Amino acid sequence: MTNQLNILKTMKGATAAIMLSSVATGALAQDAIRVISHRQPALEYYTQQMVDALPAGRVTVELMPIDKQLELASITMSAESDAIDVLYLNDSSFRRFASNGWLEPIDDLWEKYRDEYDLDDFPQSVIDAVSYDGKIYAMPILTNTELFFYRKDLLEEAGIEPPQTMEDYMAAAAQLDSARMAGTIMSLKPVDAALNESHWYMNAIGDGWFDENWKPIFNNAAGVEAITKLKEMTEYAPRGFTAHANDESTINLQQGLAAMGLQWFTRAAAMDNTEQSRVVGQIEWVAPPGGGARTANDGFAISAYSSADRDEMFKMLAEAASKESMREGAQYAMPPRLSVLENAELAEQYRWYPAARKALENGKAFPAMPDFNDVGEIVTRHILRAVTGEAEVQEALDQAAAETEELLTSRGYYN
Amino acid sequence: MASWQRGLWLFFLPSFGLLAVVLLWPLGYAIFLSFFDYYLGSGERTFVGFANYIDLLTEARLWNSMWTTIIIAFGSVAVEFVVGFALALALYRLHSSAKIFSVLLFLPHIVTPVVAALFLKWMLASNWGFVDATLLTFNIEPPDWLGSPVWAKVSVILADAWVFTPLVMMVLYAALQGLDTTLIEAAQIDGASSWNTLRHVIVPALIPAIIFVISIRLMDVFRFFDLIYVLTGGGPGTATETITIYTYQLGFRMLEVGKASALGVITLIVVAMLLLTINRSLNKAYRGGDR
Repeated sequence: MTNQLNILKTMKGATAAIMLSSVATGALAQDAIRVISHRQPALEYYTQQMVDALPAGRVTVELMPIDKQLELASITMSAESDAIDVLYLNDSSFRRFASNGWLEPIDDLWEKYRDEYDLDDFPQSVIDAVSYDGKIYAMPILTNTELFFYRKDLLEEAGIEPPQTMEDYMAAAAQLDSARMAGTIMSLKPVDAALNESHWYMNAIGDGWFDENWKPIFNNAAGVEAITKLKEMTEYAPRGFTAHANDESTINLQQGLAAMGLQWFTRAAAMDNTEQSRVVGQIEWVAPPGGGARTANDGFAISAYSSADRDEMFKMLAEAASKESMREGAQYAMPPRLSVLENAELAEQYRWYPAARKALENGKAFPAMPDFNDVGEIVTRHILRAVTGEAEVQEALDQAAAETEELLTSRGYYN
Repeated sequence: MASWQRGLWLFFLPSFGLLAVVLLWPLGYAIFLSFFDYYLGSGERTFVGFANYIDLLTEARLWNSMWTTIIIAFGSVAVEFVVGFALALALYRLHSSAKIFSVLLFLPHIVTPVVAALFLKWMLASNWGFVDATLLTFNIEPPDWLGSPVWAKVSVILADAWVFTPLVMMVLYAALQGLDTTLIEAAQIDGASSWNTLRHVIVPALIPAIIFVISIRLMDVFRFFDLIYVLTGGGPGTATETITIYTYQLGFRMLEVGKASALGVITLIVVAMLLLTINRSLNKAYRGGDR
């Protein structure tokens, strides 16, 4: 009997210890504001600004590829967990998160700190881009656009003018393609990278993704032509292009393994980074030929389930998005603040700014629907089936359109 | 039974509790969710009976992913068994250096699969990856390891074999240690060739270990996720999309939890049936050989 009592006492003690340790761990975890973000040079800079905005140890930042970040955020938010406090969202994912009720509206804080952080410096179009259903949900951090990167030295040597149309681009890539250097980078890793590349072709050659009633039109004749051209262009892409996202394509350009191609504004500075690039000063930029490449307004939002102090988080975001911070961050990404954008010195200091302004004019954002990421999962899977020869282009796009309609029906788009 | 022994059943509780929490509860919950139309974004659940199962079983994507799973699973296990068995036999022949070689050969298995996959991904990266760069140095045009549908499957199979062949090798090597050497000596005295000794003496003696290792590996490979996720993400297109990758896409990308749960249940049934069949076939072959 004494043994039995001892066993019970030991078990109770162990249970209490486990419970106490879990409570203690939870309390410690709640101390710091946890920020998760996509990893790219501009976001590395801005998340560091957030870390610097508050006393040491108050902010922890985790950077990861965008698809992993969105998965982590989706799982955490759907579980209504407070494990994430602040998260990076691009335009398409932002709408989905906002419509799901996973984000905290910040209109009251915006109003409260409007003067302190000169928030009227953000143009209305940018505020609209981070708003959903009339409420502001995110602090705008960067305006991003895809640019057409090309090797000035190689084009001049071959007597080729910087491409203005898709036909120019295709001819130039074909001419410069060789065993040692790909004619063009192509980022076709699902979902985000492949969707960006397809978005450009679908707008420049096709008629876009949807009609005004959200019915898919990407499988019409123009859409089939667009993806057929994209497939043809893969002949000049580096091996492994179906597994390439922005990182791999940036390295291909930096290492002189590709002559040109579509890549984000945020990767432009890396071309002139003497520690990483073999092509310093040799890359130039124009707006993507044919127009229609992706433009985006990205920002950081506060989780609806965060248990951290709202004011503190907002001030952290506002510090990172301050004029001073954005003036410094302009080398990595186009800042959405008017006062910084209108600074004439920027164009002189950063060679890619003139091309970026044109790219913003002829570019196109993703369709404004909360479920475009899910549509993208379907569409990119079928486009890649077509590109790798698993299916004919028309067949693949028809199947993608059928699955897209089925998805959007289930989400109530056609009610 | 002594009076103090009556309380010993309490020791059973923690392990049962743990099993119930980490295995039975999630399984039961997954079966429950599989009968609902449940999109995590909306948070609403609608009972749909067997509709998720019917949807899945009538769509081509499920059967494609099933076929891909079978190709990758049997391809991987075949490579692992042949190479692992050959290495085990080679180690068995060695005397003084067997321990050193077995440790060296076991190294890939010590590495976490995700880390191994990341390592392999950079090895197979086009142009600047170790494999490509080496081949290009000798002016050999490498294939598109992860970008071509066929080579992506081959790469995934080889990656799995690289990580798990050492496990197969060690299990079979351990079984070889228990082999009755007089049987081999008798076969040699009777003039049996090396091949005949292997086929008629060594392999039948190792059948229990072979059944064990093949069953374990097949069960593992059918749940194979981490290596494919890191190496190809199921692509290009759907070339390496196995059932587990498809389940992941449904559950964590599309947030279609009901459908993903139904797919999980289907996978469980398929794997259980397959393993039972394989176990029975191998047991039958073993008993046949015994007679």
